[in-house]
Amino acid sequence: MNATYNTTGNNGNDFDPQQAAALLNQTTQQAKSQLEPFPPWLVAIRAFLALIGYGAIWLSVRGQHPYLHPTAALIPVGIGVGIVNVIAVTVVAQRATTGVVGRSRFRPVELAVAVAVWFGVFAVMAAMAAAGVSNGIVYGLYPAAAPLIVAGLGWAALKAYQRNWRQAGTSAAAAVVGALSLLAGPRGCWLVCAIGLFVLMLASAAVIARRQRG
Amino acid sequence: MADDGLDPLIHVPTRLRIVATLAALPDGDALSFTRLQEMLELTPGNLIVQLRKLEDAGYLSSEKTRSESGQKTTVALTSQGRKALSEYTKALRNLLGGLQTEAQQP
Repeated sequence: MNATYNTTGNNGNDFDPQQAAALLNQTTQQAKSQLEPFPPWLVAIRAFLALIGYGAIWLSVRGQHPYLHPTAALIPVGIGVGIVNVIAVTVVAQRATTGVVGRSRFRPVELAVAVAVWFGVFAVMAAMAAAGVSNGIVYGLYPAAAPLIVAGLGWAALKAYQRNWRQAGTSAAAAVVGALSLLAGPRGCWLVCAIGLFVLMLASAAVIARRQRG
Repeated sequence: MADDGLDPLIHVPTRLRIVATLAALPDGDALSFTRLQEMLELTPGNLIVQLRKLEDAGYLSSEKTRSESGQKTTVALTSQGRKALSEYTKALRNLLGGLQTEAQQP
């Protein structure tokens, strides 16, 4: 059979099916990439930031017997990294979802609430310390696990409500990392968070990259 | 529908790009005309013509809203449009698979 595969498109121009397939793939990949609020490269950078941040804290406490607290010098560094993280996420996500109407649109207020939750969790630390709770909990287990569990579950619930299952899953998994870290004790919890978040976020970056290609 | 099963409404480079771009959004989400134009690098006139054809066929819907900064138009792929793209993709795959099979014959 001598089939004709050139199909006449609009205005009589031939539009070869192979060209159509290539154009469809290319357009789909480009659109997914341009509309993605959390591109793989950003998630990967955040994975390394989490590894370095939590890892540095673990290095500062691993030799403490009895457990005291992470090195004070890490606090401004952590805050600085956190601020850069928030700014980067806001700028990238807002640019990607410019012109988008609906649940996939990035809303800075949501991120602001998540940040507020983080600060709120740390505010409780002061109250715990004043109440005489042990160092291992106030400066170890609680600050390592609580932000991940509280903010993670909150963000997961919000994204599930928006039917953004990928982000809901990732956030829930972060909460699980926080919960698991509690089993490692006040020193080990930082290492569990470092490695757990690093693996989780790299996996998330890989999934996003694959979705963009597919 | 053409003899090869390819939807002639979608099987035009510009309209294919429009439909594929809107399909990248989750079901129910819409994209502003301005952003769509910027992503596809089309002139407003050309984009309007193609959008109208797709809307007349029920493949996409448009909505105009008024805000303080002026009028804003957003477009979204309808469920019919998503289904049409899915069928178009399937037909394309079948067609190219047939092409490959023929090429392999001695």
